[in-house]
Amino acid sequence: MPLEILLVLVVVGISGIGLMLHLTGRSRMRVLTHDLAWQDWLRHFPDDDVVDVTVSHDGHFALIRTKEVAGLLWSFGADTAARHLLDFDWLEHPEGFEILFHDFSIPRVIVRLDETERRHWRHLLDPV
Amino acid sequence: MTEQVSFPDAVQWAVPFFIAAILVEFVWIAIKGRGGRYETRDALTSLIMGAGNIASGFLLGFIAYAFFMWLWQITPLDLGTSVPVIFICFVLDDLRYYWVHRFGHRIRWVWASHVNHHSSQHYNLTTALRQTWTYTFTFMMVVRAPLILLGFHPAMVLFVGGLNLIYQFWIHTEAIRKMPRWFEAVMNTPSHHRVHHGRNARYLDCNYAGVFIIWDKLFGTFVPEQESDKVDYGLVHNIGTFNPLRVAFHEWVSIWRDATQTGLSLRQRLAYCFAPPGYSHDGSRNNSNQIKAKHLARHPEDHGTPGFEGFSASRQNGLADRS
Ligand SMILES: [Zn+2]
Ligand SMILES: [Zn+2]
Repeated sequence: MPLEILLVLVVVGISGIGLMLHLTGRSRMRVLTHDLAWQDWLRHFPDDDVVDVTVSHDGHFALIRTKEVAGLLWSFGADTAARHLLDFDWLEHPEGFEILFHDFSIPRVIVRLDETERRHWRHLLDPV
Repeated sequence: MTEQVSFPDAVQWAVPFFIAAILVEFVWIAIKGRGGRYETRDALTSLIMGAGNIASGFLLGFIAYAFFMWLWQITPLDLGTSVPVIFICFVLDDLRYYWVHRFGHRIRWVWASHVNHHSSQHYNLTTALRQTWTYTFTFMMVVRAPLILLGFHPAMVLFVGGLNLIYQFWIHTEAIRKMPRWFEAVMNTPSHHRVHHGRNARYLDCNYAGVFIIWDKLFGTFVPEQESDKVDYGLVHNIGTFNPLRVAFHEWVSIWRDATQTGLSLRQRLAYCFAPPGYSHDGSRNNSNQIKAKHLARHPEDHGTPGFEGFSASRQNGLADRS
């Protein structure tokens, strides 16, 4: 196949499919409730004993405390991603916190929290 | 030697068909309200990975091709390009695919390339196109050497390999539950391949087939889809990025970081590169056998069921406190 035609097909195909998905509402992020977050965490880490779950006001972030270690669960497109808070940096951010996992498969997560939540989350993580 | 053997690049010619089929699957799911899920960024990432795979073929394909042509120079055998020879080549190349794919899940160096095909939590036709950019660096082209030395022309081997990939496109769907029984018995199908994409403990390391599922049955890696254990798609540790560059290279970066830590023996460094995924020198990670054993400790009722044959929870040390 001539390269130009292949290139046009690929570019038009990809952008067309992307546009179609976006316009039909397929860009919606997963919204977490307390129970959904609990359930999603166990899906990622079936061995954990979850102690409590704190979901952010927008439903896109949850702080999970387990018997061993805390963890962060967040909306990742229509699904979630999750990591234990073991090897990470925790920075203040105008919208809440910025979490840098030292992991190439997760650049950074900006956790959007309001003022009250921010104090609460800090408190939850502090006693460690 | 056969002179001027040329075969079309099947994968490129299939691109319009891929696009059309994705549209059909999407509309089908939208109308029926079942049979799969689509998500914008996930699908875009998969499609860009597919385009990048073709591009990496343009850029790096010459390395494998030069190697194959060198083998073709030294072999005294030439089977020609008759239709039966092409068919036999297709079947043998599918056996080659089975082993490359199995290595892809059991050797971390090869997994670093293949992992991105499994990095979506979705399973639809776009997932089929989420293909590696780094296959050349796995050196898995050597597995094709016997085919060429046997007298199958390199261009023909690459052609049937393309057909193999095209076959595997349509099985990445939840819209088809089961094919007729005879078909499920011989061929790789949506049902068999869904299982291969599962991160459920039961479904780890099975159904490596490309076109014919018989290889898995022959080599003892076949696990049928279980009504009672819905497939959970993705990786044991799902990635948190849609950035194609990170998707393509994240496991290579992890290998580098793991293998270059201070204070490791040479043996441990090599294990980080070539042992099955999940190896760690300090026992902080789990490989698939350990994941299965831990699952059995939590769910003893699954002992001896498909995917857990020959596994026992007690084989895994340090589990007593968990169970
Ligand atoms: Zn695979
Ligand atoms: Zn697949």
